[in-house]
Amino acid sequence: MERVLFKYVDEPEQYRIDNYIKNGGYQALPRVLKELPPDELIDLVKKSGVRGRGGAGFPAGMKWGFVPKDIGRPKYLCCNADESEPGTCKDRVLMERDPHMVVEGIIIASYAIQAHTAFVYVRGEFVYPAHRMEEAIKEAYEKGYLGKNILGSGFDLDIIVHTGGGAYICGEETALLSSLEGDRGLSRIRPPFPAIKGLYASPTVVNNVETLANLPHIINRGVDWYRSHGTEKSPGTKIFSLSGNIARPGNYEVDLGTPLSYVINELGGGVPGGYKLKTIIPGGSSTPLLMPDQIDTPLDFESMAQAGSMLGSGAIIVIDERACMVWVAMKLINFYAHESCGKCTPCREGTAWLKQIISRIENGGGQTGDIELILDACKNIMGRTICPLGDAAVMPTESIIKHFRDEFAYHIEHGKCLVKTDYPFE
Amino acid sequence: MADNGKDKVTLTIDGHTVTVDKGTTVIEAAKNIGIEIPYFCWHPKLDSVGACRMCLVEIEKFPKPAVACATDVMQDMVVHTNSETIVKARRGVIEFLLLNHPLDCPTCDKGGECDLQDNVFKYGVDTSRQTFTRKRVIDEDTHTTFDDKRIGPEIIRNMNRCVTCFKCVRFNKEIAGEYDLGAYQRGADTVIDAPPGRQIANLYSGNVVEICPVGALTNTDWRYRVRVWLTKTADSISGYDADGQNIKLWYDHRQIFRATSRRNDAVDEGWICDIARYGYQYVNAEDRLTTPLIKKQGKQVESTWEEAIDLIARRFKEIKDKKGSVCIAGLAGGNQSTETIYLFNKFFRHVLHSNSVDYRLDYIDLKDGEDAAAYNSLSSAPFVIADLGKTDAVLVFASNFIKDHPIVNLWMRKAHRKNNARIFTANPVETKSADISEDELIYRPDTEAAFLAGLLHAVIDNKLYKDIDDGKAADVKGMLNPASLSEAADICGINADRIIGLARALAEAKNPYIIAGEYLNATPHRHVLANGLYNLANLLSVADGQAVIPASHANSAGAERVGLRPTIPTHLAELLAEKWGKPLPEPPGNNTSKILKGALREDIDSIFILGANPAVRYPDGPFVNAALDKLDFLVVADLFETATTAKADVVLPLAGWSEQDGSFINLEGRHQRFERALPPRRAGIKRGVEIIRKVAEALDVPLEEDDNALRRETEEVLAAWKCQPRDRNQYYPVRPPAAVEHGDYPYRLLTGNDLHHYGYLTEHCPSLMRFTSEAYLELSPRLVEKLDIAEGDLVRVESVTARLMLKAKISDFFEGEVVFIPNNFSAMPVNELISHESGGWVKIEKLDE
Repeated sequence: MERVLFKYVDEPEQYRIDNYIKNGGYQALPRVLKELPPDELIDLVKKSGVRGRGGAGFPAGMKWGFVPKDIGRPKYLCCNADESEPGTCKDRVLMERDPHMVVEGIIIASYAIQAHTAFVYVRGEFVYPAHRMEEAIKEAYEKGYLGKNILGSGFDLDIIVHTGGGAYICGEETALLSSLEGDRGLSRIRPPFPAIKGLYASPTVVNNVETLANLPHIINRGVDWYRSHGTEKSPGTKIFSLSGNIARPGNYEVDLGTPLSYVINELGGGVPGGYKLKTIIPGGSSTPLLMPDQIDTPLDFESMAQAGSMLGSGAIIVIDERACMVWVAMKLINFYAHESCGKCTPCREGTAWLKQIISRIENGGGQTGDIELILDACKNIMGRTICPLGDAAVMPTESIIKHFRDEFAYHIEHGKCLVKTDYPFE
Repeated sequence: MADNGKDKVTLTIDGHTVTVDKGTTVIEAAKNIGIEIPYFCWHPKLDSVGACRMCLVEIEKFPKPAVACATDVMQDMVVHTNSETIVKARRGVIEFLLLNHPLDCPTCDKGGECDLQDNVFKYGVDTSRQTFTRKRVIDEDTHTTFDDKRIGPEIIRNMNRCVTCFKCVRFNKEIAGEYDLGAYQRGADTVIDAPPGRQIANLYSGNVVEICPVGALTNTDWRYRVRVWLTKTADSISGYDADGQNIKLWYDHRQIFRATSRRNDAVDEGWICDIARYGYQYVNAEDRLTTPLIKKQGKQVESTWEEAIDLIARRFKEIKDKKGSVCIAGLAGGNQSTETIYLFNKFFRHVLHSNSVDYRLDYIDLKDGEDAAAYNSLSSAPFVIADLGKTDAVLVFASNFIKDHPIVNLWMRKAHRKNNARIFTANPVETKSADISEDELIYRPDTEAAFLAGLLHAVIDNKLYKDIDDGKAADVKGMLNPASLSEAADICGINADRIIGLARALAEAKNPYIIAGEYLNATPHRHVLANGLYNLANLLSVADGQAVIPASHANSAGAERVGLRPTIPTHLAELLAEKWGKPLPEPPGNNTSKILKGALREDIDSIFILGANPAVRYPDGPFVNAALDKLDFLVVADLFETATTAKADVVLPLAGWSEQDGSFINLEGRHQRFERALPPRRAGIKRGVEIIRKVAEALDVPLEEDDNALRRETEEVLAAWKCQPRDRNQYYPVRPPAAVEHGDYPYRLLTGNDLHHYGYLTEHCPSLMRFTSEAYLELSPRLVEKLDIAEGDLVRVESVTARLMLKAKISDFFEGEVVFIPNNFSAMPVNELISHESGGWVKIEKLDE
């Protein structure tokens, strides 16, 4: 399968601008600046059908199209490099190994919406990726791809790298913008949407690292080529981060629409040690589970939704028969309770309560009625929150109970795991 | 799909149709038809955040329930506020909030006025499914789960009760622009606290207690003292500054327990400053005067009202018969009610036949007639507070705005927040507006007039004037001294470009405001400054109500409008004559300065002071004290013993404003009534009008009107008041006075109110004393370094006339040579340092241990 984003990812010096250019980089940008006025560029990207790679899958061109043209306020482009969805580790690789591809994508996207300041919001823990991005940006300035009058086109752009303080919620776009403005990273209600009122109450587009990385390729090789990869509604390639009980964990780039079984078995080598596959979290911890009989589900937005889950960020976590699902549920809810920003009541209080109840079940103190209580609390959180973090906490919890209710019941009745294993789950 | 016209929207809520303005939120539209959608984190004056999720409603065609507080109405929207889904969602929110909320109701101050209680009763369920130990913030000091932390001089936080609605933090930041309260940590560990090492101590801090929906923030004032349902309320008006904040006094049969806001969208929008909130407390003070005192053999002894009134009448008669009534003068404080001042005026003019009455006791430079034309016009300008919220440029001149007009200050901040209004200040110090002002032009002390001249030059030189021809502008230029912008810039120490920048900003604005304040009023040449502002307003064609020198005290405007000054407008004199049945006395009266000068010369033998303390408030201590000491007969009516009452021959215990019905006129000219909460606790305390009536009766010229008739008459006189519009063709010379030689005294002392005090009565308010309990010398970091002083060190401040010893306080708002001592503390009579000899120049020395 053709590698697009990862084509040069294994070349040790690809992050240097000379190598990036040697390998075909910074050709899309001059073409765009010379031949594609912003409106046409937006149209082209719309036609390509590229969808957001951060988890929501919103068509990028359509998002750009929402930005109002003449409202007397500056526009901003924000590259969301706050990769925090559990299981996801693709953006860091792009930033570390091929940062110029991301930079070129940022410049193209900024040009499309006529933003003259772009930000890269990198999670604070990504010291090295942020460093690589800063170096790449410096090189780009030196070669005239950034700054004033880029390549004589009259377009100015500055990119600023900003590191976060360590919060998953800052991957959510409104919290990201709050953090970027210097406030605490709390989500904001939408409407107004960032494309209308975002950073500093000005039109802002927030795009994921991988989404932006797609842009130079779409420009260079055209819409038809891009659409020849993937499916009709989910064109292009995607990087999947494979982890868990898998022989070959890592990042794999495949066409969208590739069956999940191909990624897990052919590329990932399947579940090692002879253990049976129990369940799969397909798109980052916030997505509902897929069961082994769904392993052939194609990895595209529609198919995943039809299967009752989501493509999400593409983080595939493989779980084998040794795992106690109550323990898995506890690990996940711990994460969400810890990361909740605390602004809205259902998520703040609800995730903390769910954590208490599920932990109690896992630790042997579960009480009759706990499962019903969990599900009822979930109903009071789902769809009632400011941002999707509440939903993200609820979906895996509900899904795990739906498929593995017997394990919960066993825990409650007997005070210990149904699953017999000596694997040291910590 | 009926078209309602572009500004109105019709929608359906629970089957009822309602039409509202475009831009209204669903929650407000529902309120209009009596549907109360519950909420915790919404506030009509704060930006909606949709955090509590209590106000979720179902709106047809919306994918999921939406927050009513942040959803604007749309034409033909259909809203359901009580569907099964919404009932379940509300129960869910309540359950979530009660998971960890402590059952403090029996001892929590908020009981009876708590949003959580109310909503639980309306929308919650009886039983709890919480089986875990509740999450607790542990009190740092006592290590108990009853977290009871004092985060400010008045504010106590019980974090365990907090529902994290963020209203306190949002108010503090959005409205007050202060950062001394914030949220820390994340998620369920979120904590509201003052920043490390600091306290919440800004002037508006009390509002966070009022807007907290639960008992998480309480103030010492009210804490544990009474249950809200055991109190009654009286509608009142704050009696300190001239903004006219609307408040409610809560009391039972014995005492007043607190004051809260009484939202008036035209004046205060529901925000009151701490002085308005805690300032009632002096009424409860134990050391109130309760019986009259008479000086016998040099000592003041307690006596009876009969004896006191008798003595006053006798002495007044004696003086009148021997030297004429011009020798008796009357001074009333600017915080007396309009009715009291009106009767006081009548007493002096009609009964004593004296025109020497005045209420302006804080200022040296008092002029009448033509000299005062510019000042009079600007001080009676038809300023409308709420309109300031729509301005696009403001010049605050010679005013520490937050201290002078705390609520108008909030409107100015609102204009900045909502309209990006450009704010400029011109002062001898930096002010709290520095966070929103485009420029703070800090002029050297006593160079205000040169600054104004420079500003006028900037306007004329750059042809920024409107509606006058070039020739006239050149004429005006000729009336200015110094004669050029560059000279003026040199004198006041501000770069000429910045002055031009200010001129341009005001000229470009569509709706500019020019507002002056107490630094102007305190100068010995305030009429020169008024001239300068008048010229500026005319050159820029500023609307009449938008160039103003606002009144200072709660009722200075009232005193002005009922004519408590020696010269009054003809139409008012005629009206009073008509009401009182005979023309006003002939010989011209004296204003405060002339009265005091007359006292020194023994032309004035007696003064009756009603509710004022000029011995420490008049800005020339040696002069006023010498004058008052020279008097043959001084009568003072006040609530407490003061430096002024100490000099009096007769001291009369006066009732406070909350102990009577009355009215104040605020700086807009708005006539606002206040209700009595409780009558004075002791029978010996009398209202001003009662005292005046007693004296008049003892003089055989009784004042017959009862309280109702007095009120009616006062209102009729007020109704006849006419504002004097600016004469757009009139310009005045601006010639600064000669600079004062100050030789060995290198630092210029400014005085005024401490941030949390106003006048001399707040010293008797325990809550305000919590913020600041004694005077201090405020000086700049640079000066502190130069003089080798640390914060809290004892320093000696000395002028040619006096010396005082105080603690030093370091402030970022000051530049080099200017220092400040507040004049609210009786132990520290600052006005001793200020006199016409010293000009306010002092030297400072650190005192060795």
